[in-house]
Amino acid sequence: MTTTGSAEHTPPARGRSPQSDTSEAEAAPADAAPVFSVRNLWKVFGPKADKIPGGPHAGLPPAELRKTTGCTAAVRDVSFDVKKGEVFVVMGLSGSGKSTLVRCLTRLIEPTSGSVHIDGEDVIAMDKNRLRELRRHRTAMVFQNFGLLPHRTVFDNIAYGLEIQGMGKAERRAKAQEMAAKVGLEGLGERRPRQLSGGQQQRVGLARALAVDPEVLLFDEPFSALDPLIRRDMQEEVIRLHSEEGRTMIFITHDLSEALRVGDRIMLMRDGGIVQMGTPEEIVGSPADDYVRDFVRDVPREQVMTVRSAMRPADGDEAGTGVALPPETLVSEAIEAVARSGEHARVMDEGKVLGVVDHERLLGVVAGLPAEAAAA
Amino acid sequence: MSAVTSLRKAAAPPEPDAKPGLLSTRRGRKGLAIVVLAAVFIPLAIALGGSGSWPNDLTVDVRTPLDDSYQWVADNRDSNPVFTYFLLHLANNSTSAVDGVLSFLELLGWPGSIALFTAIAYFAAGSARKGAKVAGIALFAFGVCGLLDMWEPAMETMALMTVAVAVSAVVGLLLGLASGLSDRWETILRPVFDTMQIMPAYAYLLPCVLIFDIGSPAVLLATVIYAAPPMARLTALGLRAADPAAMEASASLGASRMQRLRTARLPLARKEMMLGLNQTIMMALSMVVIGSVVGAAGLGDEVFKGLARVDVGQAAVPGICIVLIAIWLDRTTAAAGERLDEATGGGGPSWLPPAVIAAVTVAGAVLAGALGKKEWPEGWTVDLTGPIRDAVEWFTDNLGAGVPVLGGTQTWSEGFTDWVLNPLRDGLQSSPWWLLVLLAAALGLLVGTWHSALVAALAMSGIGVLGLWSKTLDTLSQVLGGIALTLVLGFAIGILVARSERVERLVRPVLDALQTLPQFIYLIPVAALFGAVRTAAIFAAVAYALPAVIRITAQGIKQVDPAAVEASRSLGASTFQQLRQVQLPLARPALLLAVNQGIVLVLAVVVIGGLIGGGALGYDVVYGLQKSEFGIGLGAGVAIVLLGLVLDRVTQPTVLKQRKNS
Repeated sequence: MTTTGSAEHTPPARGRSPQSDTSEAEAAPADAAPVFSVRNLWKVFGPKADKIPGGPHAGLPPAELRKTTGCTAAVRDVSFDVKKGEVFVVMGLSGSGKSTLVRCLTRLIEPTSGSVHIDGEDVIAMDKNRLRELRRHRTAMVFQNFGLLPHRTVFDNIAYGLEIQGMGKAERRAKAQEMAAKVGLEGLGERRPRQLSGGQQQRVGLARALAVDPEVLLFDEPFSALDPLIRRDMQEEVIRLHSEEGRTMIFITHDLSEALRVGDRIMLMRDGGIVQMGTPEEIVGSPADDYVRDFVRDVPREQVMTVRSAMRPADGDEAGTGVALPPETLVSEAIEAVARSGEHARVMDEGKVLGVVDHERLLGVVAGLPAEAAAA
Repeated sequence: MSAVTSLRKAAAPPEPDAKPGLLSTRRGRKGLAIVVLAAVFIPLAIALGGSGSWPNDLTVDVRTPLDDSYQWVADNRDSNPVFTYFLLHLANNSTSAVDGVLSFLELLGWPGSIALFTAIAYFAAGSARKGAKVAGIALFAFGVCGLLDMWEPAMETMALMTVAVAVSAVVGLLLGLASGLSDRWETILRPVFDTMQIMPAYAYLLPCVLIFDIGSPAVLLATVIYAAPPMARLTALGLRAADPAAMEASASLGASRMQRLRTARLPLARKEMMLGLNQTIMMALSMVVIGSVVGAAGLGDEVFKGLARVDVGQAAVPGICIVLIAIWLDRTTAAAGERLDEATGGGGPSWLPPAVIAAVTVAGAVLAGALGKKEWPEGWTVDLTGPIRDAVEWFTDNLGAGVPVLGGTQTWSEGFTDWVLNPLRDGLQSSPWWLLVLLAAALGLLVGTWHSALVAALAMSGIGVLGLWSKTLDTLSQVLGGIALTLVLGFAIGILVARSERVERLVRPVLDALQTLPQFIYLIPVAALFGAVRTAAIFAAVAYALPAVIRITAQGIKQVDPAAVEASRSLGASTFQQLRQVQLPLARPALLLAVNQGIVLVLAVVVIGGLIGGGALGYDVVYGLQKSEFGIGLGAGVAIVLLGLVLDRVTQPTVLKQRKNS
């Protein structure tokens, strides 16, 4: 569980330490107590919404549920844990319930049933003041449409959260300046949001969230409204911030490549429920069903898969020769090494040979052949 | 009552398994309902009252009770505790507030007052260049007021305006906050505001006179009632339209209810609130000027005196001053609104503008004191009354009639009367009463909903019950003549404006100017051109309603999906084909809205036309006010409101309502 150590690999994409545990949240090791722990969460919109979870209609597909009860289950029976320091991505198409889910975490939307705990504290049971404290100090959110106040300057927008906390003017201004510099908004502090580009506006949104120094950052499709190039910049920015500060992040997106880029773990949602949860490599390498398979079909697999899942046991004297690669090496990097040397490469961890990858194994990954088939 | 029950019956939902055909379409169902309604209602109506005008048996005498209540109020005003302990205080306070402002302005003297208005204009506009322009307008407006020897009435109007706007804005803001923040208040207030919007300003005056008698308190009350709704509406609109993302961001950072209102919701609504203030000010000016009919002093009173004597020269001079003040007020508030859009906050500390305004004003006042001249110097005036009178005379002599081919204004006026107004009026008055009630219901149903049909029929019957059937039909004929003319001109110009940039550039400033003027002002030029006849008031109404109709039409056509127009052009459609087949059909909701707005505006001015020979209901109101015949006046006022309801309901399309509700 060394998700914070992601800076050890630099080019070309972020390397990730593979996870040994499964996607089952309950299996999380005890040393990384979850920041957010969500169990059996439901959010149902419609008449008599509270009768749906656990009721006779709970299992109906969305269209039928709507027809028989007039209700829509935006989030249905969702359980997961977010570990300290990880980037947890919730991904799904529009209408899959991901935005509702993230709002339920701080009760911007009241969940219908289920439990939400932050650091072991029950969020559902919080009274108004406690909840306000939670929102003021422990979480901060970045929104798809920025949610900036057009009549305030950039500095005043960044300091808005601090102002709500009741911080003095001079102090919050200093903090705002610091945050503006941190997200690359130097010299724009006295402008109004309207005068900024979309990317800059979202930097303000990001700075505003960072200013309150939250334990968890919540991103609700933060870059969906931006141009592809700017979006990439902003993704890099988030990755950079995460590697510098190691802050826990929950990141909502409908964009698979974004999810793969920023996420340590991804939870795929459909019709309010969880379809699959796991590392990017697990999602791409072993999709849980046809829906996910369809989803990841066009993903450049060599950019996501590591040699750990591509390797096979060493045959004969293979363990003695070949380039040594750490197990987190991406397949695309291994291809380069193998092509250069013309022979297989060894996957080595702390001086031990775990296995080898050769042309055949690497091409199998690119072609999307099931690991078993390639191994056979 | 039979009409009501049959309406209910017919309104029952159709059988779900109704056969396809006539009944399967919405319009088909409505048509059938109308036929059924007619079959039940007409024989009943004939049996009840026969054909022709509203049957006498079905009228109720409202005059006597109204006169009695007025008498009672007049007798008890000094003794009844409600008056002595509440209304009298209100009246005294408002009078002393107006007097206080007036004596403050007098204390400043004319240099101080001009300095004050100019400085306010300058700082409201913010940036130096725009500020200078608006300040120039202020200087010019009040300079002309002085030059035309209208300084004192102008200051009386300003004093009344100051108090009226202050109270209207506060009342409007509070009502706006209530209906913007609470759904319950919204459901209570919205229908009230909707109805108030269609009521002619004129109709507000009489009830206020009943309470406060003639004088400035009555005008103030009427002005507040008339002018507060736009502030309230727009405040509520702004509060409700606040960017949900910004509101959510505020909540996500843990803002409390009050913090969210203060730091996010209210500031986000600033623009709408400023627009509301602008509308409130312009409507207040309109009402304060009309208020001269019930004894408000000031420029309106000068106009009123001139119109009463049909002396256009005497009416035009204060009229010019009102126009200039209207432009000054509009530009100042509009500039203040635009400033909110500007990115950078104005340079300099926030205490600076008020300080400079105060300093300049004091300097002006001191200067006036030093000169010993607080009143506008007598030698500095120009009398335009004579020249205007001469010009009007020349005009009537030369252009009134006998211009080759064109005819002349008098000829047009007579032609319109003979060929449009009289046949229309006679036709309406000789129609059987039940036919008109049924027609109102049918139109309401076709254009709108069951609800609007019911309201239209009931309001129409109400007019009959009041015993004002034929007078109302006279007014109705004027409104119909006016709206027909307005729509022909408005749609034509609107289409031109929408299609040609050049026409738009030409017409826009004219429309802007026309839309800021108080209703009363429109009566002056038409009285000069056409004399004191019915048509004069109608032409004034057309001029008043035209800008709105043109604007809505042009906007509606412009907003038509350009892709649809392009598609039609790519298929080789001619300009006319594009217009007829694509733009006009797609702009239909806007055109219907234009009809609705136009009709409400025409009615508002047609009834004021009672002052310059419009006759009918409008005249009754004036007569009632001037001769203290309260029963006649208020009866006519109620009939005007009912007529307004009928006209609004039969032209208010369902889509409009739905949009309003959503």
